Amino acid sequence: MAAASTTATAAGEERRGIPAASFVEDVQTYLTQSGLDVNASLSLLQERLQQYKIVEMKLLAQQRDLQAKIPDIEKCLDIVATLQSKKGSGEPLITDYEVSEGIYSRARIEEADSVCLWLGANVMLEYSCDEANALLKKNLENAKASLEVLVTDLQFLRDQETITQVTIARVYNWDVHQRRMKEAMKDT
Amino acid sequence: MQQGEGTEAQVTWEDQQNINKFGRLNNRFHELEEEIKLAKEANESLEDAGNELILSDEDVVRFQVGEIFTHMPKDEVESRLETMKEEADKKLERLEEEKESILAQMTELKKILYGKFKDAINLEED
Repeated sequence: MAAASTTATAAGEERRGIPAASFVEDVQTYLTQSGLDVNASLSLLQERLQQYKIVEMKLLAQQRDLQAKIPDIEKCLDIVATLQSKKGSGEPLITDYEVSEGIYSRARIEEADSVCLWLGANVMLEYSCDEANALLKKNLENAKASLEVLVTDLQFLRDQETITQVTIARVYNWDVHQRRMKEAMKDT
Repeated sequence: MQQGEGTEAQVTWEDQQNINKFGRLNNRFHELEEEIKLAKEANESLEDAGNELILSDEDVVRFQVGEIFTHMPKDEVESRLETMKEEADKKLERLEEEKESILAQMTELKKILYGKFKDAINLEED
């Protein structure tokens, strides 16, 4: 992305690998400075727009993953809390759980001192209820923080897309305007 | 593309920022509509659950926590359901408020942008 346009005002630096789209103050100056004709300039801008779109797809996929992960962690916290609340009462926790799709069985969970947490990569570790709570809460916070950063990234990216789209429209309209003026001059 | 006169107003950096802001608000608006729809459905489910509970005469109810159904005494389920309903209502209220605020901001921006660019710009849903 080398086209240097010194008429562009600073649109902010790149953000986490996403280059900022430079804002064009004046189309005429922009075209002269970059040495490109209208069609070449439009292709370049379109190409940049496509690249932004590709990154957007990637970020959206990451966002979907995180948005699915957060309720899962909350459910786990819920279960640990339920187990802990039953601890003092002396009664076992009776629950129905899914053995296979559509098939359920009953389980009786006595004093639950510990739980096993699935850490991913085929690894499951046993934790005390308190440790499990702490770990799950930390994971939840991390997930929420990552999601926030991601959302800001997406906003930045979409701003750059909008800037590029507006620039494309302005270059195109400028071209139309130029042609019209030339036609008008010919007719006089 | 518009068949404009060709003498449109120049786009300044401030205009660009307004356009960007409008885009962001519009995106958030659509996200909110989705979230509000889900929140309303969740509310309805909780309502239905509450009603079923009143109708049933069992003492022990199977209450879903995560992926399992724990056996819980009816009153505990009732109070849990109440808490969940309150939270769901509050959440829905928050979402609706955010939506109203965004709509107001979008209307403001539309005034500014249409004011300057008239029909050289289109800010409506297609």
